[in-house]
Amino acid sequence: MNEAGRKYIFYGITLVIGLVLVFRLVQLQLFNQSVYGKESMSNSTKTITVVPPRGLMFDRNGKVVVDNRPSYSVMITKSQFDTNQISEVAGFLQMEAQEIRDILKEVKGTNRFNPTRIKRDVEFPVISYISENENRLIGVDYQVEAERFYPNDFSASHVFGYTKEISEKQLKNQVGDYYKQGDIIGIKGIEKVYETYLRGEKGYNFIAVDVKGKEMGSVNDGRDDIAPVSGSDLHLSLDSKLQAYAEELMKNYKGAIIAMDPRNGEILCMVSKPDFDLGIFSGPTDKKVLSDLTTDPGKPLFNRATMTNYPPGSTWKMMMGLAGMGSGEITPTSTIVCGGSFTYGNKTFGDHGSYGAINIVKALEKSSNVFFYKLVLQLGLDNYHKYGTILGFGQKTGIDISDELPGRLPSEDYYNKVYGAGKWTKGYIVSLGIGQGELGVTPIQMVAHTSSIAMNGLYWQPHFVRKIVNSTTGEDETPQFNSRQIDLPLEYFEAVKKGMYLVVNGTGTATNIKNKDYLLAGKTGTAQNPHGNNHSWFVGFAPFDDPQIAIVVMGEGAGWGASFGAPVGGALMVRYLSGHSMDVFDPDSGNLMQVRD
Amino acid sequence: MKEFFKRFDILLLLTTVAIVTIGIFAIYSATFTTEDGGSDLYSKQLIFAIVGFVLMIVINYIPPKYLSNTSYIIYALAIILLIAVLFFGKKISGQRSWFAIGTFGIQPSEFAKLATIMALGRFFAAEDKERDIRNPKTFLIAAAIVLLPVVLIMRQPDMGTVLVFIAMIIPIFFWAGLSTFVIFAIVSPVIVALCSFFGVYYMIGALALVAVVLYVWFRQRWILGLVILTVNLIAGLSVDYVYDKLQPYQQRRIMAVFDPTTDPLGSGYNVIQSKVAIGSGGFTGKGYLEGTQTQLKFIPEQWTDFIFCMVGEEFGFIGACVLLILYFIIIFQLINSAYFAKNKFLSICCIGFATVFLFHLFVNIGMTMGIMPVIGIPLPLVSYGVSSLLSFMLMLGIGMNAYRNRKLYM
Repeated sequence: MNEAGRKYIFYGITLVIGLVLVFRLVQLQLFNQSVYGKESMSNSTKTITVVPPRGLMFDRNGKVVVDNRPSYSVMITKSQFDTNQISEVAGFLQMEAQEIRDILKEVKGTNRFNPTRIKRDVEFPVISYISENENRLIGVDYQVEAERFYPNDFSASHVFGYTKEISEKQLKNQVGDYYKQGDIIGIKGIEKVYETYLRGEKGYNFIAVDVKGKEMGSVNDGRDDIAPVSGSDLHLSLDSKLQAYAEELMKNYKGAIIAMDPRNGEILCMVSKPDFDLGIFSGPTDKKVLSDLTTDPGKPLFNRATMTNYPPGSTWKMMMGLAGMGSGEITPTSTIVCGGSFTYGNKTFGDHGSYGAINIVKALEKSSNVFFYKLVLQLGLDNYHKYGTILGFGQKTGIDISDELPGRLPSEDYYNKVYGAGKWTKGYIVSLGIGQGELGVTPIQMVAHTSSIAMNGLYWQPHFVRKIVNSTTGEDETPQFNSRQIDLPLEYFEAVKKGMYLVVNGTGTATNIKNKDYLLAGKTGTAQNPHGNNHSWFVGFAPFDDPQIAIVVMGEGAGWGASFGAPVGGALMVRYLSGHSMDVFDPDSGNLMQVRD
Repeated sequence: MKEFFKRFDILLLLTTVAIVTIGIFAIYSATFTTEDGGSDLYSKQLIFAIVGFVLMIVINYIPPKYLSNTSYIIYALAIILLIAVLFFGKKISGQRSWFAIGTFGIQPSEFAKLATIMALGRFFAAEDKERDIRNPKTFLIAAAIVLLPVVLIMRQPDMGTVLVFIAMIIPIFFWAGLSTFVIFAIVSPVIVALCSFFGVYYMIGALALVAVVLYVWFRQRWILGLVILTVNLIAGLSVDYVYDKLQPYQQRRIMAVFDPTTDPLGSGYNVIQSKVAIGSGGFTGKGYLEGTQTQLKFIPEQWTDFIFCMVGEEFGFIGACVLLILYFIIIFQLINSAYFAKNKFLSICCIGFATVFLFHLFVNIGMTMGIMPVIGIPLPLVSYGVSSLLSFMLMLGIGMNAYRNRKLYM
């Protein structure tokens, strides 16, 4: 190859390399400028997140029941922080240096440039120390946030629920990317279900930072800042006084009380005992206290009002009556002969007494067992399951607090699954007729059911929230809940209601709570408990001719329905209707203080 | 006057001055927010740029014979310095490549590039006997001239500079008259090895291409051709083996070229940040001293190896292209001088300098734009560094000399 040829080879290679570089420049600077521009912007900008105050909750009378109070958090921006100061910081925060190191170790990627929460609920003197030394403690900062405060003489812990710092798992599984490490999120109860309303929307201030991360002022004079939207306030149907009273009634018992306005599904009070102090979860939670709570044999974190799966005992008999009439097996006036006991196959089922030929009204008043043994066998499991479903059992009611279970409404499939097809007989289902056996219900199902009876078949989705009000936007939203009319003739409901009326006002099982001022109706129940004392049930509504309140009382291991459930339920209804204290039941002695009139 | 310009490479000089000036502005921008005394780096660079400018003019007027005659002495001095730095050099991040003299650092390997090229030029341009690179003995001696400093620099170790030396061998030998067949025999295994890095199909493709070239142009030497093909095959297959033998950090650096996000806080960090800097500059740049990436120091080594980021970010596509064009003027001018110079010593020197410029340019700018591995070699005339600046300016002084004396045989 001659000299000129060699020269052109050099020219060629040089040209190719030049073109490669220019093409790459075009690619980076002309085609992808916007992408890299954004990245460089986020590099040099510190984003300050402004967490809005969480929405408050008010009771039905406008009293604040869930409030906020200020709490100080100490933050560290990893990219600026001098790790030599870690022991000093650990000192005034009363933490181990290693704990801080562990927190900072988790901070990765661009999070280095944002403040990370090191400790919540720091005392004010620590905050003033940090601000006095801000020039020296670079990257150490604090943030004022609101934490929950409950100005109440009751706890309603399962109703309100609580908030906690978001867990790593929740962060990973979240839809979208709203939540960041260290954010507060509703974990239980109303706090969880209405999280998106209560939290509001975080705001962001963009601050230019220099080499060492020192703040130089707002980016673009703050025009790019995004203002936070404060959380919406919730107006609840909860009646503080009734809630406090109900908790007082239950204070020595395990179990649940729910009161509901049958006309619209609003929950007036909901108690699950034992309960816990919600204050434990505001601010940093002591690990010891938390583990005591979770290991407590009384299971205080468990919401008995929506999650138990006990048989309802005789409070089930209204459902049986409605199913019997609905399926045409009985009419409001047809009778079934009730001897003192009932034998099916080689097993005999007992009863409280022998009533002869009685109709559904009398059967309810007397709580006859034989009537319902016979009825359930006539009805068959298919109808049993069908009408149970129509009346709202075996499914969640959809109440607007978290953690509800559907109970258990046995069907043929269920028995085939548990015992195997063909390996069970009709004898298995006899006890289902009186609300025993494999049937399981939740108190919230029972109160919604009782309400629907009181309202002649109008079934409301039980709920707490009446109105959602946003103070920033001024928006005012009324959440919509479901209601449906159960498709059964009015006379069936009338018959069942009459039975419930006579339970209290005739010669039934709860005449001990008959009241001269208010016509109460109800039904007692005693659920067999293989693990100990029977569970005491009572469902009721009042006033009989103009229902304004429906209640359920479930006392775990509290014995007969008539001895615990009925007096407590009666006391509650009278208290609500009279609007003032009328202590018919002494929670300390368990005695009825005012019997009849 | 006309005669003066005919014999004075004013284009090369002005281009050099322009690039050096851009460099000083770039260093100022890249360091002026530094609080630890870094802000006077630009003035040091300015002082040595003036020194370099004077030296360029002086060298321009030195008779080529003197330059040629002192080449071996300069080469010997460079070798002695390279040995000395291994013993007396200052250790900075694991490398012993600097002499600390007061506040300055002298890096012998930068001068060794110049000295080695001059020595090669002197070797091929020997007056007493005909030196034919096709003679194996000549080839080996010439190779040894390059490999001696390579071995010493590997001891520092400074792999980036080693690569510069390796890269200059083939172009210079080619210019000196090495046959295309031998060049092909040496270069093709390297290309096959590079291809096989991307996967086995690339390797097969490259091998097929080699076979085709061998058959079409070198068919008459078919035995040798088969040997070359075998060597190519071995080179291709040994890549995985060699890759496994590399230190993990070296492997990461290579991988990070293809995907910087695999190592975002390690070797990929510089590349990610420098791409952001250059990319965010856009067409016109963010303006002098307005580059957030540069001013907030998101890029380590931004006044030395990564200084192109500052140019790309603050001066944008226009600024970066202007700088590139200036560089290519220098390289083409050097190639032309090499072609037109009757003096073989000057011719070899110019082609060597052109190669070094091109290699530095491609690797350094390619690295900041994420198409080359992170190899620590400076951007010629722009990166801060007294040794590198002076060494490159001396090269261009000889380049001017070659232009001035292009009609001179001796």
